[in-house]
Amino acid sequence: MLQKKICMLGGFAVGKTSLVRRFVQSIFSENYLTTVGVKIDKKSVAFPDKTVDLILWDLAGEDDIGSFRVSYVRGATGLVLVADGTRPATLAVALTLRERCEAEFGAMPFILLFNKSDLTDRWAIPEGEIDELKQRGWQVYLTSALSGEHVDDAFRQLASMVAN
Amino acid sequence: MTSSVEPISLSQKQASNDTGIDREALARLLVEIARNVDPDNHTLYEGVPAADHRLEKLRQLLVGGEISELSRVTHLLDEPEQLATAVGNVLPEATARASHTQLGEALAPAVERAAQRSIQKNPNTLTDILYPVFLPAIRKSIGEKIDQTFQSLNESLRHIFTWHGLKWRLEAWRTGTSFSAVVLKHSLIYRVEHVFLISRASGLLIAHVTSQDATSEDPQLISSMLSAIQDFVKDSFKEKESSGLDTIRFGELRLWSEVGQFATLVAVIRGNPPEELHEVIRDVLLRIHQESSRALERFDGDSSQLPGVETQLQTCVELQHMDSKEGFPWLVLTAVLLVLIVAGGWSFLSWQSAHRWQTYLSRLAVQPGIVVSDQKIRGGDFYVAGLRDPLAADPQSLLPGTEVDPTRVHSNWQFYQSLEPEFVLKRLSASLAPPDSVRLSVIDGRIVAEGEATTTWINRARAAAQQLSAGGPVFDISGVRDVSAEERWQAYVSRLETLPGIIVADQNVRDGQFYITGLRDPLAADPESLLAETQVDPARVHASWQFYQSLEPQFVLKRLTASLTPPDSVRLSVVNDRIVAAGEATTAWINRARTAAQQLSAGGPVFDISGVRDVSPEERWQAYVSRLETQPGIIVAQQNVRDGQFYITGLRDPLAVDPQSLLAGTQVDPARVHSSWQFYQSLEPQFVLKRLTASLYPMDKVRLSIVNGRIVAEGEAPDTWIDRARAAARQLSEGGPEFDISKVRDVSPDARAAEHWQYYVSRLEAQPGIIVAQQTERGGDFYISGLRDPLAADPQALLSGTKVDPARVHSQWQFYQSLDPKFVVKRLTASLSPPKSVRLSIIQGRIVVVGEASAGWISRAQAAADQLSADGVVLDVSQLRELNLAELNQLREAIQSTDIFFSSGRVVPGPEQTPVLDRLADQLKEFAENARKAGVTARFMLTGHSDITGRETANASISAARAETVRALLNKRGVAPELLLVRGAGTFEPAVPENENSRTGNSTNRRVSVTVNLE
Ligand SMILES: Nc1nc2c(ncn2[C@@H]2O[C@H](COP(=O)(O)OP(=O)(O)O)[C@@H](O)[C@H]2O)c(=O)[nH]1
Ligand SMILES: [Mg+2]
Repeated sequence: MLQKKICMLGGFAVGKTSLVRRFVQSIFSENYLTTVGVKIDKKSVAFPDKTVDLILWDLAGEDDIGSFRVSYVRGATGLVLVADGTRPATLAVALTLRERCEAEFGAMPFILLFNKSDLTDRWAIPEGEIDELKQRGWQVYLTSALSGEHVDDAFRQLASMVAN
Repeated sequence: MTSSVEPISLSQKQASNDTGIDREALARLLVEIARNVDPDNHTLYEGVPAADHRLEKLRQLLVGGEISELSRVTHLLDEPEQLATAVGNVLPEATARASHTQLGEALAPAVERAAQRSIQKNPNTLTDILYPVFLPAIRKSIGEKIDQTFQSLNESLRHIFTWHGLKWRLEAWRTGTSFSAVVLKHSLIYRVEHVFLISRASGLLIAHVTSQDATSEDPQLISSMLSAIQDFVKDSFKEKESSGLDTIRFGELRLWSEVGQFATLVAVIRGNPPEELHEVIRDVLLRIHQESSRALERFDGDSSQLPGVETQLQTCVELQHMDSKEGFPWLVLTAVLLVLIVAGGWSFLSWQSAHRWQTYLSRLAVQPGIVVSDQKIRGGDFYVAGLRDPLAADPQSLLPGTEVDPTRVHSNWQFYQSLEPEFVLKRLSASLAPPDSVRLSVIDGRIVAEGEATTTWINRARAAAQQLSAGGPVFDISGVRDVSAEERWQAYVSRLETLPGIIVADQNVRDGQFYITGLRDPLAADPESLLAETQVDPARVHASWQFYQSLEPQFVLKRLTASLTPPDSVRLSVVNDRIVAAGEATTAWINRARTAAQQLSAGGPVFDISGVRDVSPEERWQAYVSRLETQPGIIVAQQNVRDGQFYITGLRDPLAVDPQSLLAGTQVDPARVHSSWQFYQSLEPQFVLKRLTASLYPMDKVRLSIVNGRIVAEGEAPDTWIDRARAAARQLSEGGPEFDISKVRDVSPDARAAEHWQYYVSRLEAQPGIIVAQQTERGGDFYISGLRDPLAADPQALLSGTKVDPARVHSQWQFYQSLDPKFVVKRLTASLSPPKSVRLSIIQGRIVVVGEASAGWISRAQAAADQLSADGVVLDVSQLRELNLAELNQLREAIQSTDIFFSSGRVVPGPEQTPVLDRLADQLKEFAENARKAGVTARFMLTGHSDITGRETANASISAARAETVRALLNKRGVAPELLLVRGAGTFEPAVPENENSRTGNSTNRRVSVTVNLE
């Protein structure tokens, strides 16, 4: 049994919960998300040589960066940073959250998702900016929780990053 | 002797016979002595003188000691305090010596009374005295099993004033058992069902064990969720770092968690575990930490790093205490009851903590309408939380007199509605506002209403009673008499009087019974059924009705309708008290109506039939025919009337209305109608549409409609459907409406291509060494990406035979090394080139190498196995045997020490060499075979030699020729020629040094030698 704790980080309504919902079928009701502040799901990603169980922590309430419970990230091996491709400001939120986590627990592997790629007419992130992020060696994906585009790829990528 | 002598004054008290002194006798004795001492005295003293100081002196002399002793004793007996002290001194000794049974019997009543008094005065004293003796004594006597249950019992008793207590009380009340029995039932059984060991850092599950038949959702998620909840509680309530949430309860389940340095142990327990279980769990956690502290600290989600932990956890899961069926612990029950009686219930708890606080709490607990759900003492302050009925006493007001400092009490009360009878009574009084004639009271826990009230009030009360029935006390309103019954009766009677067809002759009320008599038309409303709506009790109604025929117009109308059965074309109505018939009818009917009108004229209302037109059968026939002619799908060809009979012929579509069914209602006599219909297919669009719908079964996605007389199909369908539709359209083209299918899109090529594509994908997915990561179909093109092992089948090659157009396939394959054992075997075979003596096979996903190989090959295989194990593939080389090289070496020695000798100048060995050659050939073959088995190839170098006689060149060629000859001879004996190498060494490698001057040369050097080479 190889498990890794993964935290979903990103601003309000960028689609974290929807992405997780797209990725797994969960056993806990989403009510917990608001009451306890976190919802936990599991996704097993199978590789030819092993299977990694990603334990996904979907945190609620970090829309206000001040109220973000950093303690929930303790023990995480990887992060999923989520920004909303139609709201450029959410990129800064995601990056700030990552900084806070790294300051507390050190660097860890992450993937950066620009979500809602299906909303092409309202897309607000220029290609150049995404290329620039990729130049830094970051794993960047344009995803859509609605159509499922690239969602599996992204999580699979993260799974392979944390499995080693 | 005179009697005037004063007796010696000893005591005021009458002395008793055995202890006292006979004063007179003593006096006489003294006088007698005196006489005898001095005879003069005899005359002088007649009797005992009153106050003779000498006598006194004598007395002192004779009995002085006794007198003082006597007075001391007397004093002792007279002074109660002193006597008490004295008796007290001897009492223990005396009791000890007394007969035990007698003493016990004598003392028992007094002691019992004393104990009773003491309890009445202050139960605490006795409790305090008995407590230290009590528990151990009970425990000891009841034995070990009960000992266990008692611990839960202690806890249960604590629950008496909590929510649980409340619930259990309810259960006791419901099931009719005693509260104590319910407490025991819930307290005695527990079982540890799950144990989770959770990493504190990440919340990841390290290990999880369950008892045999326990089930749970995904333990990994549960464990993370638990740790998230703990984080949440810690954050929210600012609890100290190390103190987690250590118990959670839902219903029958409890979660006990024990927090260690690196890991938290959570036990899921069903039932009520004893406190000691905490310790057991703590021990296990401690042991795990001691044994695996480093691995726990470094835990990164890979549970294989902590293999032994599960066995440790298993010990927790085995813990349980089930209440055995035999022997309900009545003894415990008795013991508890005893405790409750002696200690007055609540005071049993007082040992727990501050006595006064408990006093206050128990005061609260006995208050009706107050439920304490939680209480604690922290830092000298008191916290209490719970529910209170707004009608209950104010908890604050109960504080005075308990000596609890009100400023240190922090309460948190929530209002609720108590269901205790007195509260319900108060609330009912407020909400129902009972009239003065109704009295509410509580009798045996039931609320009883008595008196008189109106129905409306009774109904409201009944509703309230129904509401209360869900959990509340019984609200009994059977004792309220309904006083509005008579009013309702009057209302009923006056209603009857207004009804047509009903005549009330007489009615009255007597002794709560209602009497009514009168007339009623059979067609009028039924007085009985009207009663049901009035809430008058039918059992109290005594009615007597006589039937009569009312001549009121509406009754007459009804009777006429029943007797004349007017046709649809005739309408009867009441107009100004006259009954009017209007419409069309046959002559026969009109005649019957006229007779009825005549009958009625005697006293009844007027029946006017002048408005009914007499219609002839021919007219009605014509009306029917023209109706048919307007029907779609019906074509009337011919019709005529002959001799009162009607004839009609024509065509009808099976989908059109049935002409027969139209006949009904026309008043044409069906018996006189002779029809002859031929079926035909109408080409009117709506019929064609219906038929097409039935015959083509249009697909879900096809819609048929009529547009300007054309039938239009729209949507999507496969080609098979389109073909059928096209055929139908062709048929219709002769005379029928147009059937336009041009707007149906043919989806079959796409669908079929997608099907083929899916088949191809599934084929790929079934291929070992190929992993399909993603595949989609977009705009008729197919995209696929994934991984493929170079040794796997070529995805492109698999395309052939799938009918997928390769030009439309866009694949993107990345090479990877599959760890599928089949592929690993292939790669190993290529890289290790195992000798033939070795076999690689796959057994249950493991690659097993069996056979014999050289040490070198084995170590290479071992290295490969090590590498593979890092990838999770097992390469089992343990069954490889090293080749027996010693044997091989021996053989090599033997071969290499063999020489074939030659006569001088000859290149063919003499016949004496034949056995040597035979043996050598055998040895070479054996060696080659063994070497092959060991994975190496053996080659043999045949080196020819010559002696030094003759020329050097000749020697060189003769030596080579000798070697060639031997090769041929060995070949003849079955040694594979490719294993035999040949060279001539001339004179350069003599076996023995040659004598330069010898003429004949040394025969030992005329030979062929053999060396073995391994490749
Ligand atoms: N169109 C579109 N809407 C999305 C997508 N992902 C999420 N949403 C919507 O965005 C809103 C917020 O999503 P949610 O998952 O609750 O965001 P969270 O606050 O980050 O967890 C919801 O209304 C989603 O339906 C996406 O990929 N495309
Ligand atoms: Mg969310």
